[in-house]
Amino acid sequence: MVKSWHSKLTSSLFVLPYFICFAAFLLFPILYGVYISLHNFELLSPEHDFVGLKHYVTIFTPGTYLNSLFFNGLWNTIQFVIYSVPLLIVVGLGLAMLIQHLPGKIRGLFRTFYFLPYALSASVMSVIWLMIFDTNSGFLNSLLTKLNIPAIPWLTDQPWAWVSLITTTLWWTIGFNMIIFINALNQVPEDFYEAASLDGANAWDKFWHITLPSIKPVMLFVMITSTIASFNVFAQPFLLTRGGPGDSTKVLLINVLDQAFIRKEIGSASAMAILMALLIMIISVVQFRLTYGNKGEES
Amino acid sequence: MSLKRIKTLLLVLLASIIAVVFLLPLVWMVSTSFKNDFEALSGKMNFIPLKPTFDNYIKGFSGELMNVPILQWITNSLMVGIAGTAIVLLIASMAAFALARLKDLPLRRTLLSMFIASLMIPGVLTFLPMYMEFNALGLINTYAALILPYTAGAFGVFLLYQFFISFPKDIEEAARIDGANKWKLYTHIMLPSSISIMVTLLIFTFMGIYNDFVWPLYATTSPEMRTITAGIAMMAQGSYTQSYGKLMAMTAAAAIPVVIIFILGQRSFVKAITQSAIK
Repeated sequence: MVKSWHSKLTSSLFVLPYFICFAAFLLFPILYGVYISLHNFELLSPEHDFVGLKHYVTIFTPGTYLNSLFFNGLWNTIQFVIYSVPLLIVVGLGLAMLIQHLPGKIRGLFRTFYFLPYALSASVMSVIWLMIFDTNSGFLNSLLTKLNIPAIPWLTDQPWAWVSLITTTLWWTIGFNMIIFINALNQVPEDFYEAASLDGANAWDKFWHITLPSIKPVMLFVMITSTIASFNVFAQPFLLTRGGPGDSTKVLLINVLDQAFIRKEIGSASAMAILMALLIMIISVVQFRLTYGNKGEES
Repeated sequence: MSLKRIKTLLLVLLASIIAVVFLLPLVWMVSTSFKNDFEALSGKMNFIPLKPTFDNYIKGFSGELMNVPILQWITNSLMVGIAGTAIVLLIASMAAFALARLKDLPLRRTLLSMFIASLMIPGVLTFLPMYMEFNALGLINTYAALILPYTAGAFGVFLLYQFFISFPKDIEEAARIDGANKWKLYTHIMLPSSISIMVTLLIFTFMGIYNDFVWPLYATTSPEMRTITAGIAMMAQGSYTQSYGKLMAMTAAAAIPVVIIFILGQRSFVKAITQSAIK
């Protein structure tokens, strides 16, 4: 008995260091966040009154400041998701298919070219594009001037601000989806295509009836990860458009952090953060269920 | 020329045009970093600077450039990245080893599902309370605040667990018969055999910490504590935006370490992405 007690203890000791970090920097913050959201928690004031669900109720009360902050941010985030996710999937798949059809020797090279921006941090990426989108001296407008096209206010006017944000997002992150699609395409059995060729199928038939059904689970994975990533969008509008023009690209995460760090209202900011996190988790659970459901149908 | 050859040539041409679009912003950054401010803001589209100058780099690294301690920022980023990665590799591999191989671990299944479930938790949920936690402990603007939050991530545990669970049992049993205890098993059998997956995790983790910018932006308050990504983000919002030559030199300096690691470790990085996709 003593030996087994001892053995269990040594086994536990292996998990303990990670568990302490997990508890201190994940479990505790989650619970503490709920606690904060139920209080009037201001960064500079030492007193934190319990206010119950007040912040949550205010967020859902039309006409209040918190209500417009949350729902305007949410609407801008949803717009970003709607614009970016289809492109992140289609362009990612397109690049993967292009690479598949290149001669073997240069495949790796082009994969690296398209994947390289993914290595950059958000701030490096933004600073490069700030210079390219600059209205007066930027690369893009200089190019347009040469072609006798008037300069475009890339970051300060709609719809150009969205166009710019989506362009940088694609440039920066598409490599991730491309890699996943390349792997998926590599796993489609070659005989499927050969058999289809014998039946006289053209390229489009093969894509539609063989490629797409074979990579369907991967497609859903990419859809889920891209949707979640787009819902968390922050760096591009924060650094490139500063939420403008007007408030049109102030996404939810910008509003949450502004409420916390500019207006120092940590309590209501936490309530907004919790609602945002819940929304993201609901979306991913729904999409996971769809994936699971589809797998069930096939088998 | 056969039809197939023409088709291949057209595809290579298309791929090359797309490659130019992908690489052009990076080439422009490097090119601009060697231009003086006047030329950088002139709106000329010259890729080769008319009067190439190292001034932006020299002034940047010597700290002469508007009092920006760029070397300090890069040192901070490297230190935080290395320390954070070392801790993650150690504690994640120990936990994954126990979860996968030590069947008498109490609450083994509960812990495992808790760690894996935590992968679904969005960062926004913990960001503010974690800030308040570090603030209450007086640790904002310290290396502890820049390193510790990354140690809670479960990706490493998940990745290594998958590796250890499929590790052949007989090697382990042979070692046990030879009298090896759990610690020996971990250090002498499991760690040496997992070097390749550990390198994968190392590159993935280091790049994640080095490139993170939202947390270090808020968790640091003084210029000398900033990481290079947070520092560049601050510069992009200040008066430096009107000095593209200098800004691009700093940006290139920030990007070079991580781009080198990325290119060298690309294979491992791709492996990590693939393994996270196949759940």
